[in-house]
Parts: sequence; structure tokens; C-alpha cells
Amino acid sequence: MNVAHKIKSLVSDQRFVLSLLTVALFIFFGLKNSAFFNADFVIYPLIRDAATLSVIGLAQLCALSIGHLNLAVGRMAAVSALAAGAAYQYLHVSLLLGLFMGLFVGASLGALTGWIIVKSQVNAFIVTLAMDFALLGFVTYIYVTFTGATTAFTTKPAGMEFWRNTSWHQYCVAGVCGPKIFPMMLVPAIIAIAVIGFIFSKTRLGRELLSTGSNLRAAKLSGIPVDRRVITAHLMSGLLAGLAGIMLAFTNGSFTAAIGSQFMLPSFLGPVLGGTLLAGGSVAVLGTFIGTLLTLIIRQGLSVQGIGLETLNIALGLVLLTALSLGQIQKMFTAIRMRGRT
Amino acid sequence: MTFKSFFRNRMTELSLTIIFIVGFLALVSTSQGVLLSRASLQGFLTYLAVPIVIGMAQMVVLCIGQMNLAVGAMGGVSTAIMATQMADHKVSIPVALLVGFLGATAMGAINGALVVLTQLNGFIITLGTMTILLGVQYRLVRTFTIDKYPTSLPDFGKKNIVGFPLILVIAIATSVVLSMYFSRTGSGRRVLATGGNALAARLSGVSNSRSVFIAHTLSGALVGVAAIITIASLPGINRSIGGDWMLSSFSAPIIGGVLMAGGTVAVYGTVIAAGVIRLVDIARAQYSLDPSIVSLTVGVVVLSTVALSEWRRRRTVRQNEGRKVLPA
Repeated sequence: MNVAHKIKSLVSDQRFVLSLLTVALFIFFGLKNSAFFNADFVIYPLIRDAATLSVIGLAQLCALSIGHLNLAVGRMAAVSALAAGAAYQYLHVSLLLGLFMGLFVGASLGALTGWIIVKSQVNAFIVTLAMDFALLGFVTYIYVTFTGATTAFTTKPAGMEFWRNTSWHQYCVAGVCGPKIFPMMLVPAIIAIAVIGFIFSKTRLGRELLSTGSNLRAAKLSGIPVDRRVITAHLMSGLLAGLAGIMLAFTNGSFTAAIGSQFMLPSFLGPVLGGTLLAGGSVAVLGTFIGTLLTLIIRQGLSVQGIGLETLNIALGLVLLTALSLGQIQKMFTAIRMRGRT
Repeated sequence: MTFKSFFRNRMTELSLTIIFIVGFLALVSTSQGVLLSRASLQGFLTYLAVPIVIGMAQMVVLCIGQMNLAVGAMGGVSTAIMATQMADHKVSIPVALLVGFLGATAMGAINGALVVLTQLNGFIITLGTMTILLGVQYRLVRTFTIDKYPTSLPDFGKKNIVGFPLILVIAIATSVVLSMYFSRTGSGRRVLATGGNALAARLSGVSNSRSVFIAHTLSGALVGVAAIITIASLPGINRSIGGDWMLSSFSAPIIGGVLMAGGTVAVYGTVIAAGVIRLVDIARAQYSLDPSIVSLTVGVVVLSTVALSEWRRRRTVRQNEGRKVLPA
């Protein structure tokens, strides 16, 4: 009885099902084509991409937590990368200082977006969409004006190569070395997951964000400063988008206007697959990482099979739509169960 | 009184018209009249047709308070269907255009059905269908340019009716029909009612699901018209078609005075706003500025228009509340 109950609760846990699916697909693709298990050329870049895209997923998750969307995640990432790149190029700052300057710009942009939403009372997705348009022009304009034909900041700060190319393999504790497949890029992602997970599960701020998302009026009536929480959520979203943008710039080795242009779909795929509600009020921080990993395994697995870009797009779109419909069905079942309980 | 309220209700359209005329005259005078030459005027008007129609395709979805991110991808697939039908299967032009148009309409209907069935925001559904359609478009066109179809189609695109390009006339005619649909038919008013207040609409017996479905299907049909105009005005079809439609599809209706919250349409405003954006584009070419300056300008204008319209709406609400308190 007890065991059966445990199994039942495990199966209904989206994270468990998702992890199982991820592992199964990973093994499936590997068995179909052993090239998929290549550590240096497939697994290492896959995990490195998963690290960056999980952070952009978390950026979206922060906006989703209060029931908003942030359509400008990609462009906020681009502006943060622009700021960091400019700092390295013209101010010759250290790696860490440039990173903080980029993050500061991202966070300010997010806070500005939140402030506009609160002050104008316009739907978040409209404000972020307009923000996206404005920033798109801004970023391209700055790159073209300052760097001319190259349209990139190419100065590499000291230590960038280390973050780009090395793995945990170089670190050994008592004779046991880290696995070769874990890139250094995973470190900032793990920190982001830990901090955001901690905020949402353990702190008052996280609980206030979630109650703002699940019922705005109830939150307001319970004395939560909802306007300030909306700005906080968008600030966090901008900050994480900035981090993801700078991580991608480090991976690519240059700061260009194209950074973030492919972020929109992954930013939704991760959290939605992980079980974050689009309507707000519930987040899945670890699920975001697993969801991102799953989509990347599908993408990489199909491309190792020699399947073209167009099928990948079709597959990912179908995955998103299916995941969304599943969420709807799940919500329906929850509603029925809740009705039975009362 | 009615005269005064006529102008107050049409402030956006009126000011846009003035901006359009002033901007056009300014460009004519600074270009020493080059803009008035036959060829450049023709170019200006021809490439105005697509922004007008895709602006309306977005507008019909905005009026129910949703958005259609897939306009570009739907247009791309629709033109790809038309081109491959004609080039690879030797289908006659009218049939190919009809198939492409119906294809776009069907894609819109699928969007609508998915939104109704999942009860999710149209934005996220169209993000999914956009991704799928981009894959389909690539599969149809690959990296080629398809132009091996009868030259009577590009010739058709170059036709003129009393000095106006035929395809612009088609775009304007479509906008007139759409305007009639929203102002004269019960179905159009029910769609607007859903956008204005879904609960009130439901309580007055309007099927919101049907309105959502109609709006998305209509959006698909308008994308189909845009696809016909595109294939007629371009020398060939490749995978980049539709890639730059998104910004202009949103900016024309928003600048034209369509409320993002839903419940309003502004057909004339959308048309004239598309004209103003086209002028910005012409000005960029004339002063040889970077293309990014256009999206920057348009983005900033859209952002401030959204803020301004919301401020105006709230002022109206406040005024109405004040009026209620006063004795009649």
C-alpha cells in the first residue's frame, strides 16, 4: 500500500517522468548511432548549450512566476552582452567586472520593463514585445556604429578561454577528477538554478512572487506590494537573460548582435516542459534544466541521425504544443480531484 | 457637437494622415522631386501593399486581445506552396494561388482551433505553430529561389489601374471589405464584443470560442492575400519570405490606434500607419542611414503609442466615473 502510494506519487511527479524520458531518449539515440555518445563533440557541447539555455529558461520562468511573459529575453541578453563586450573592448576591465557590468545593464532593463508594465497597466507581453523591437534596432545600431563592418566586439578578456573550453576534468579532489563531459559553463548555470530555486522555495520574496502570480487581487489584499513584486520579477528576468547572453558570447568567443536571436523558443520550452504554469503561481526550477536538456537531446539526437534543420523545427514545435496540451489536461484532472476533495 | 466628437474619436487617424502628408511633402522637397518620378512613386506604392495586408492580419487577432506570431511563417509557407505548385507540378496560376490562399486560411483555422481547445493564450500557440511552419517552409523551398513559373504572374503584379499598382488596389479593396465586415455584419460585431469584454459577451449570448476561431481564421485568410500580393510583386520565392513581417504586422495596427487589450479595430488607421512606416523606410534609403535605425524608431514609436493609448483610455474611464457621480 505504502509502496504503491510512493510509486504513484513518483509517477505523477513531472520531474521524475521528464528525467526518465530524457535518459531513455539519450540511450535510444546512442544505441541508434554510437556517434551520439562522443564525449568531446556531442555530449560536451550539448551540456554547454543546456547550461546557457537553462539560464534563459530561468529568465522566462521568473516572468512566468507572476503570470507574465517576457518576449524580450533574447534582446535583453543581446544588450547585456553588448555592454559586457564594450566594457572589455574599450575599458579593458577584468572578466568579472565586465560580467557584473553586463548583468547590471540586464537587470536595469528588466526593472525598466517591469516599471513600464506597472505604470502603464498594459499587458506584459505587449510591453516586452515593443521593448524587443526597440532593443533590436538599438543593438544593431550600436554594433554598426562602433565596430563598422565587423559588427562584433572581439576583445577576449583574460580567462575567457578557460570558461569556453575546459571541463571539470581538470579539477581533482583526493585523486578523483571531475567528469570530462561537464563544461565549466555548467558552474554559472548551477549557481543560477540554486539561487533561483532557493528564492522560490525558501524565501518570503519567492512566496510573494508566486502568490502575485496565482491571484493578483488576493495577493494585494494580503498586503503584498504587488507592483514592487512585478518589477522584481522582471528585474530577475532581465538579470538572468543578461547572464545567458554573456554565457553565449563566451561560448561563441565574440560579442555580436546575433546573440539572443534564437532564445525565444528555448526560453519557453524549458520551463513549460518542466512543469511551470503559463498562468503563473507555480514554477519548476530544476524541471527547467531537465526540460532544456530533453529538447537539446531531441535536437542533437535527430541531427546526429542526419535529419535536417527543417525536421528539427517541426519536432520542437510539436513538442511545445504537446507539452502545452498535456499541461491543460493535467490541470483538468487537478480541478476534478480538487472538486472531489471539498 | 457631432462634428467635434467626429474629430475627437478620429484623433489618431487624423494626426497620422497629417503626418503622412507632411512627411511625404518633406521627402519630395528634400529629394528635389525625385520621389514624384514615375518609377519611385510606383515602387513606393507597390511595396506598401504587403505591410497593409499583414497589418490587418495582425489587427483581427489583436481585436480579440490575442496575437499571431506566426504571420510571417504562414505567409512564407503559403507563398512556398504557390510557387512549388506552379514550378514543380505545372499547376495553372489561379489554381495555385487559390490553393496557397486556402492553405493559409487553414493554418489560421488550426491556430484558432488549438487556442479554443487548449484555452491557452494565442501567443504561445502561435509560437509553436510558427516553429513548425518555419520547418515546413524550409522543407518546401530549401535554399533555392523558385522562379520557374509563367511570367504572366509577375506581369500581373506590374499592372496599373488609373496610375495605381493593381496589387495596392487589391490591398485597399481587402481593407474596405474588412472594414465593412466589422462595422456592418453581426458576426464582426460579435468578434469585437468578445475582444472588448469576454464575460459581457458571453452573458449576451455571444460564443467566445467561435469569435476566437473566426478571428484566427480571418487572420490566416488575410495572410493568404498578402502571400498572393508577395508572389505577384517579387521575381522569385525563397526561404526569407515572411522573415521580416512580424515587426511591421504589429507596428501598423498599434500605431494606427488598435488597442492592445482588444475590442477595437482601426482599418483606416492601420492602412495610413503602414504608409507612414513606409515613408520612414524611404527616408532611410534617401539619407542612406542604417536599416537598424528604422526598427529602433518604429520600436520606440510603438512603445510610446502603447503607453499613450493606455493613458488616454484610463483618462476616459476616470471621466466616465466622474460623470456617473454627478446628478443628471
